[in-house]
Amino acid sequence: MKGVTLAAAAFLLLVLGSALALRVYRGNKEFKVFLAAFAGAVLGYAAAFPLTPSDLGFLPAGWLEPSAPVDFANGLLILALVFHGFWCFAYFACLSPSMGVMVELRARGARGISAAEALATQGREEPVNLIFQRRLPKLVAGGYISHDGGTYRLLPPGERVAALGAFLKRLINADTPLVGSRPC
Amino acid sequence: MLKGMVLAWVLVWMWALVQGIVFQLRAPEKAFASMVSWFAPMPVVYVALHLFTPADLGFLPERFVGGAGALSLLNGVALLILLFLTGVLFYYHADRSITVRLLIEMARSPQQRMTLDQMQAVCGVEVLMHDRLRTMAMNGFLEERDGRYHLARKGRLGGLAGMLARRVLAMKAL
Repeated sequence: MKGVTLAAAAFLLLVLGSALALRVYRGNKEFKVFLAAFAGAVLGYAAAFPLTPSDLGFLPAGWLEPSAPVDFANGLLILALVFHGFWCFAYFACLSPSMGVMVELRARGARGISAAEALATQGREEPVNLIFQRRLPKLVAGGYISHDGGTYRLLPPGERVAALGAFLKRLINADTPLVGSRPC
Repeated sequence: MLKGMVLAWVLVWMWALVQGIVFQLRAPEKAFASMVSWFAPMPVVYVALHLFTPADLGFLPERFVGGAGALSLLNGVALLILLFLTGVLFYYHADRSITVRLLIEMARSPQQRMTLDQMQAVCGVEVLMHDRLRTMAMNGFLEERDGRYHLARKGRLGGLAGMLARRVLAMKAL
């Protein structure tokens, strides 16, 4: 249980650290903030583990794992899995169009929202939808697509991601054989 | 504790295999409900296996065996659930990623080129929002009355979680 307890402490610090860092971070690559916070949490966990007593000064004797490597690996695995969940939740809660609708509806109360109003929250009236305003510059900067005149062209790294994505979609039977046959 | 960890790993892979077959046989409309229902027996199987198999599972080195059995059992259950949730997230990464979807559409388009208008037609906000509103209503997050969407009970909880997360994490839409 020492590993799990230290992992819990490291995760709390990770959440606090990433929340504080996001307040001062000015860029739009938030994943770097999350990954840096995770790296810090793993380093802190790995440093604290050998430096602390096996019962951490308060764990009951019956809760102790006799094998330190197993205890360490278990804590690290749980920290990684919980971090992954937190990371996904953060992106979903803050950026997902679905969550945007639910948050908007909370603010609106009993008035509800029409499909057209929901679309307006995603910048439908703008020349470039909000969902593309965020993604296209990153795809161009990352070398996945190029922008020549009015056309976007897929580059080899983007092709590889598309092939992997198509494979994963086939694996879960969510593949789309024709353009536009199923919404994103 | 290692016994519980090993059992959790084995069972989550078993579930993933079964779930993959289920999805191949019939793509479910309610993916999360399908995943939960196929996973539901796994914790029971896990507890039974933990209780009725030897402490070393017949192959674990002696130095990794020992400690409180109840602790190993509970730790394994927690790990099993965390691994399941990670599997669920994997499903949604593959199914819902807008960026991946866009790249797939580009790969399938003639000469792998698309204009912004073409992208917005196949993967834009109108297509996306229509799908998301329909899915949220189908899954009980929204209710549709008189052509307008309202929050259902699950949606109110979701909206509250989203509002709090947005306040705490302060991520920017752009």
